[in-house]
Amino acid sequence: MARILVVDDSQVMREMIIACLRGEEGLSFEQAGSGLEAIEMLSLGRYDLVVLDLNMPDIGGVEVVEFIRAQDQLGDLPILIVTTRGDDASRQQVMAAGATRYVTKPFNPEQIIGEVRGLLRSAQPAG
Amino acid sequence: MSAVDLKTFITGYLAEVEEHLRMAERNLLEAERVEAAGGSSARQVRALFRSMHTIKGLSAMVGVEPVVDLAHEMEAALRVADRSGTPLGGAVDLLVRGLRAVEARVRALASGEAVPPAPADLIDALAALGLDRLGAEVGDLGLPEDVRSRLGPGETQELAHGLARGRRAVRVDFVPNPSRAASGLNITAVRERLGRLGDLVKVIPMSVPRSPEAPVGLSFAVLMLTGAADAEIAEAAGMPLDAVSSLVGAQPAAAPAALPPPAEDEEEVELRGEVVRVPVARLDDVLDRLSVLVVSRSRIARAVAELASRGVDVGALSHVVQESTRHLRDLRAAIMRARMVSLAELLERVPLIVRGLSRTVGKEIKLDLDAGRAELDKAVGERLFPAVVHLVRNAVDHAIEPADERERAGKPRAGHIRVACHERGQSQLELQVIDDGRGIDQAALARRAGRDEPRDPEELLALLTEVGLSTRDQATTTSGRGVGMDIVKRVAVDQLGGELMVATERGRGTAFTIRVPLSLTIVDAFCFHSGERTYVVPMSMVDEIVELEPDRVHRPPALAGALVGLLDRRGEAIPVVDLEAWFARRPAGGGGRKAILVRRRGRPLAFTVDRMLGKQEVVVRPLEDPLVRVPGVSGTTDLGDGRPTLVLDFLALGGQVRAAQGGP
Amino acid sequence: MNTLYVLFSVAGTEYVLPAADVVQMESFSGATPVPGTAPFVAGLVQMRGKVVPVVDLRARFGLPAAEPTIDSRVVVVQVGERTVGLLVDSAREVIRLRLEDLESPPDIVAQDGAGFVSSVARAGQRLVMVIDPSKVVGEEQLDG
Repeated sequence: MARILVVDDSQVMREMIIACLRGEEGLSFEQAGSGLEAIEMLSLGRYDLVVLDLNMPDIGGVEVVEFIRAQDQLGDLPILIVTTRGDDASRQQVMAAGATRYVTKPFNPEQIIGEVRGLLRSAQPAG
Repeated sequence: MSAVDLKTFITGYLAEVEEHLRMAERNLLEAERVEAAGGSSARQVRALFRSMHTIKGLSAMVGVEPVVDLAHEMEAALRVADRSGTPLGGAVDLLVRGLRAVEARVRALASGEAVPPAPADLIDALAALGLDRLGAEVGDLGLPEDVRSRLGPGETQELAHGLARGRRAVRVDFVPNPSRAASGLNITAVRERLGRLGDLVKVIPMSVPRSPEAPVGLSFAVLMLTGAADAEIAEAAGMPLDAVSSLVGAQPAAAPAALPPPAEDEEEVELRGEVVRVPVARLDDVLDRLSVLVVSRSRIARAVAELASRGVDVGALSHVVQESTRHLRDLRAAIMRARMVSLAELLERVPLIVRGLSRTVGKEIKLDLDAGRAELDKAVGERLFPAVVHLVRNAVDHAIEPADERERAGKPRAGHIRVACHERGQSQLELQVIDDGRGIDQAALARRAGRDEPRDPEELLALLTEVGLSTRDQATTTSGRGVGMDIVKRVAVDQLGGELMVATERGRGTAFTIRVPLSLTIVDAFCFHSGERTYVVPMSMVDEIVELEPDRVHRPPALAGALVGLLDRRGEAIPVVDLEAWFARRPAGGGGRKAILVRRRGRPLAFTVDRMLGKQEVVVRPLEDPLVRVPGVSGTTDLGDGRPTLVLDFLALGGQVRAAQGGP
Repeated sequence: MNTLYVLFSVAGTEYVLPAADVVQMESFSGATPVPGTAPFVAGLVQMRGKVVPVVDLRARFGLPAAEPTIDSRVVVVQVGERTVGLLVDSAREVIRLRLEDLESPPDIVAQDGAGFVSSVARAGQRLVMVIDPSKVVGEEQLDG
């Protein structure tokens, strides 16, 4: 089972993302309502993928990505950014900080499924 | 392949957006108030930015483009203000317009109407807001480097303002670990607990070397402004005392004059209790399901009766079924309690309404809202709210004089309106709308109505609430349309069984008082027509509504009284009673085409109706006088026509019918 | 001692009630009948927000029934905790009576009146019957 952490301050948003992915096999989900909560959960638990909203209030998505990449054990964690109307500057900034993939809202369910499947496949431990 | 239709999330969307809009309104007004008093609105601006961002994201997912456009512009403007620590100043008006525009579109979506595009002029105006002038220069606060680099100008300014007002800037280092997390002490809980002791400015995650104390190498530095003692803070964070340190020593150089901390702090602290936010629609849903449970219980009762008739010993089972009636009743009461809204929440919108009104009519108004801690059922609150709003609009529109006129009269320039609500004894809620305006001109009112001048407050009230009466000939911009005084009376008095009173004095002001009973019986009920009268029956006692197909109704020749015949249905022979005939104590006529089926002790009985009118929630007022206490009538309700409509108890009626037939 | 009384008429006869017992008087525009009540209970009306039972005095006094007219009035009386409306043919005057004006009712009136009439009074040229509202509405108490 791949454990996915869905991070967004909107409960409806989190539920929407999970609803898109629920039909796929082998996925389990946990939720965090803030970047701080996400950092805490990522430090205390083990996850295979993080879906992260960018502009959350108390700590921006960029800071969260920076923090994650600064942890040795989280260096390879796939990070999928899901955010509204990304402008180039924001996108470049967060990719430079170490995010893996970037999807803008509104998205199709197929997009999310495709991205998640792709990220989990490439993260398969070799051998 | 998943086929998720994101539109199914509309209900949740509407609930979340509604909540964010409310918060945004509150924060916007608070920002204005704080800035006018010389303080920093940084917290409110940040909260506003957050709300608009969330609204934008949700609306994008559900596909409401006009709201996305508006929210995007507002979010962008607020982001700039937040990052640069700039006060909103005059931009508040424009942001209020923006919120209103979003609200209108969300309401349209909620009622299934088309959502109009965002007004171009509003979009342009929002885009042109340049909220990036830096606020007053903030001196060096003497913050340690690892913290200073992580703070934005808005946050630094907030710290500066707080320090100037005599609060302490404190840093709490919270270290999460598995055992703390297992006992519920995570960063979210700690933030909430610390939030009750002061204002959190920022939470900074920090990497620390792994150690037995910090097994996951993570620490959160919580920066806050507070007046609480270190020991209290440490306890709230679940950390030892040395986790708490003063953030800053010296006062900043350029500091605004010391301000008293706003009273809002205490209010917020209290409101942040153990609360779960539930969309009211979900509670209504629960009530619906409860109704289904009640029907199921009747069916179980029937099955038990049938078992008994076959000689099975159903003693214990029957007892359980009886108890379940009580449990269901208690459950309903508990859900109704959960549906209670606090008056304070109900009246939340009033300040914004007053603000808009006072701008429109060009008068200065000072609103005093005293909602206390009273709670009332959501259905009652919904009915009361428009009445309160109308009274307030009346006060702004008619009662309060323009500032110059007030000054000449020796009054303060700003008109004073007070909306106060408190419990009166054990059983009543009293709500008052009081103004210090010009008072009601009773002579003019009487003249316009072609009546005699009222001799006492009761006659004045009767005059005011006469349908169609208004002290202006044509509708003014704000009042005169929509809810009139007559409807205020109809809601408060007729529907809710309360009282409406007025006291007024020329030149001094007017006070309207509404009193409503605190606890009302509100039930879901079917309305129907029978013999040219309208009746209401609680849904909980209705088993089914059945068609009376003529070839399925058998009329044995020896049928007496109001019995129409026996309905053959699903293997049962159901006695059908002509309701009107039963009431009139005359023999049955032809009977209607539909009948309401109830089960009494498992045995079915149907009462004919001429026409079903639908279902609605009604307030049941019990009949108290012995003259009219009869079995079969639980009380009366007002369906909006000002006349009492009987609420029938078909189970009791069924008992009467059977007794009349010599049965059990 | 001088006391105010409300004067009303039912089927041509004039009656009075202590004004102190009268809460309000309204014209009558129909009542919601309640099945199963005594025949003299006309039904329920909503008055100033209260739901009030109405006793048809014609029926109560055993007089022939008649259709209400525009002069018909509901005289709402307060009897202890109870508020009850009395439907009368008309109610226009308020008069003063002195204690001395009140006499015991003659036997035949007392009998026919079934105890409703507490005394008779002379008001100028007229003879009016003084009604005891608590007898009219019945002596049950409100429950609870």
